[in-house]
Amino acid sequence: MNFRKQFHEGLLTKNPVLVQLLGMCSVLAITTSLFNGLGMGLSVTVILICSNVLISALRRVIPSQIRIAAYIVIIAGFVTIVDLLLQAFVPALSESLGVFIPLIVVNCIILGRAEAFASKNGVLASAVDGLCQGIGYTVALCIMCIIREFLGAGTFGGGILNGGEGIRIIPEGIPAMQMVMPVGGFLTLGFVIAGSQWLMKRMERKQKEKEAAEV
Amino acid sequence: MNPYVQSLLGILLSAILTENFILVKFYGICPFMGVSKKTDTALGMGMAVTFVMAIASAATWAVNHYILVPLELQYMQTVAFILVIASIVQVVEMFLKKAMPSLYQALGIYLPLITTNCAVLGAALVNVQKGYDFLQSVVFGTCGGLGFTLSIVLFASVRERTDRASCPESFKGFPIALISAGLLALAFMGFSGLKIF
Amino acid sequence: MKTESTFKYVLRLSLTLLLITAVVAGLLAGVNAITKPRIEAAKAEKTTKALSAVIPDADTAKQLEQLPEGTQIVAAVYESDTAYAVQVTPGGFDNVITMMVGVSKEGKVLGISIISHTETAGLGAVAAAQNAKGEAFRSQFAGQGGDLAVTKDGGTIDALTGATITSRAVTAGVNAAVACVEKLG
Repeated sequence: MNFRKQFHEGLLTKNPVLVQLLGMCSVLAITTSLFNGLGMGLSVTVILICSNVLISALRRVIPSQIRIAAYIVIIAGFVTIVDLLLQAFVPALSESLGVFIPLIVVNCIILGRAEAFASKNGVLASAVDGLCQGIGYTVALCIMCIIREFLGAGTFGGGILNGGEGIRIIPEGIPAMQMVMPVGGFLTLGFVIAGSQWLMKRMERKQKEKEAAEV
Repeated sequence: MNPYVQSLLGILLSAILTENFILVKFYGICPFMGVSKKTDTALGMGMAVTFVMAIASAATWAVNHYILVPLELQYMQTVAFILVIASIVQVVEMFLKKAMPSLYQALGIYLPLITTNCAVLGAALVNVQKGYDFLQSVVFGTCGGLGFTLSIVLFASVRERTDRASCPESFKGFPIALISAGLLALAFMGFSGLKIF
Repeated sequence: MKTESTFKYVLRLSLTLLLITAVVAGLLAGVNAITKPRIEAAKAEKTTKALSAVIPDADTAKQLEQLPEGTQIVAAVYESDTAYAVQVTPGGFDNVITMMVGVSKEGKVLGISIISHTETAGLGAVAAAQNAKGEAFRSQFAGQGGDLAVTKDGGTIDALTGATITSRAVTAGVNAAVACVEKLG
């Protein structure tokens, strides 16, 4: 299995958020501080790996007519486990993400990977796929968090650094608090996706030029 | 006015406007982006979601109140709710196929997608968290669905125009749609101080 | 597939699904058994902390078994020798805010402490933050009676910048707590 290719796909060319446009509810809703973004990203990555592995292991047992129902039950199970563990061991994160933890069940990334990858590939490849897609998701979340937190609250690393307050970069009163409100979520994601599309087109063009030069 | 009726009206107003499911709470963004290219399909999707949300709110309330709480199985909420929702969507699909074939045709592929709509599960979970009773849950679910319909129809009519307008290459498609959604959300922020009592 | 009757086929599908659900349910029961004591201990600790933050003699506080009639958003009432602590759950910007309000037997607010919330980081969340801004916001309530309102609504409480809804919710919670204590007499 080509690990490098899968990693490249998860992070860039098939990034679940920036290219496949999946799981956007959480991307828009919780990206107000770096703590939220990292926490959500890691939770989703863990659930994605677990559900991918289990679904891949059971892919010959589950009849195809009821596969979606079976996947949903499996995913919901893992989500609840993570939810309970967070409540018990990281209550601050569980509180700040609130209802968006149970809502990971309906995050299309997980069901999407189950259907598109894990149900057709081996256990190891599915685990790697879960890891790579999860990392892609986490990176996209963190980019959103950093931009929104910087513009909206003027800080970096809110919830983790500097005793939970974040490192202040812009003095208080100046940042546009709209950026951490719903509006900012839509605008930031729009610009981030546009940026990634621009970057990807540029990379493609360079690649083509290189190939043309070699020929 | 009776405080109970007042609370119902409060839920109604907040679910449709001040706490609009999509533009304020971000539940159900996937269908919002995916099924908003044309106004009439957006309207169909909105109605179907509203319908499912109303039934799902009632059903999940009953499941929670009569099964999970007495048995102290609250930790099974997410699993139980998603199963209830998936079965409701299935039943609605079969019912529409028999009873209203024309509507079934129009909704076609969007129907099964409602299962993975955060708005439906979100409404069910919020109902429990806020401790709503049966009627409040149904009102919250229905109005949340109406709020969803309102914003998806508004957004579709905006998108019908932006899709034809010229814009920078990198912004074509989703980015410009997201930015228009941001402007809609900005407009909905204006409702945020609104209260009726 | 053809040798199988429809009945058997449906049975096979349902049994597979049932089996998966049963395994998941069993697994969850196990995890729940492990995490439940921790979650409850954490919750109890938070409540005790909030109690000692809002009333002076928290160690004598006992939860009342019955809530007074006709109160809204009150979740629990604790009575100590000199004061009441009322746990209220007003609806904030995102979801309900769970907070503890200490009220003296004369009906004056002693202090407030926010137990849990899901308000926006940097805006509404400041109401619960352990920093100067949060302290300043919360200390406004001490010594006040009921019927409070934020300045925007013609009252005396200065709302947090950009978080009028959260501020209103906290104010509504304090009012409900004072009203509840008045009912207790």
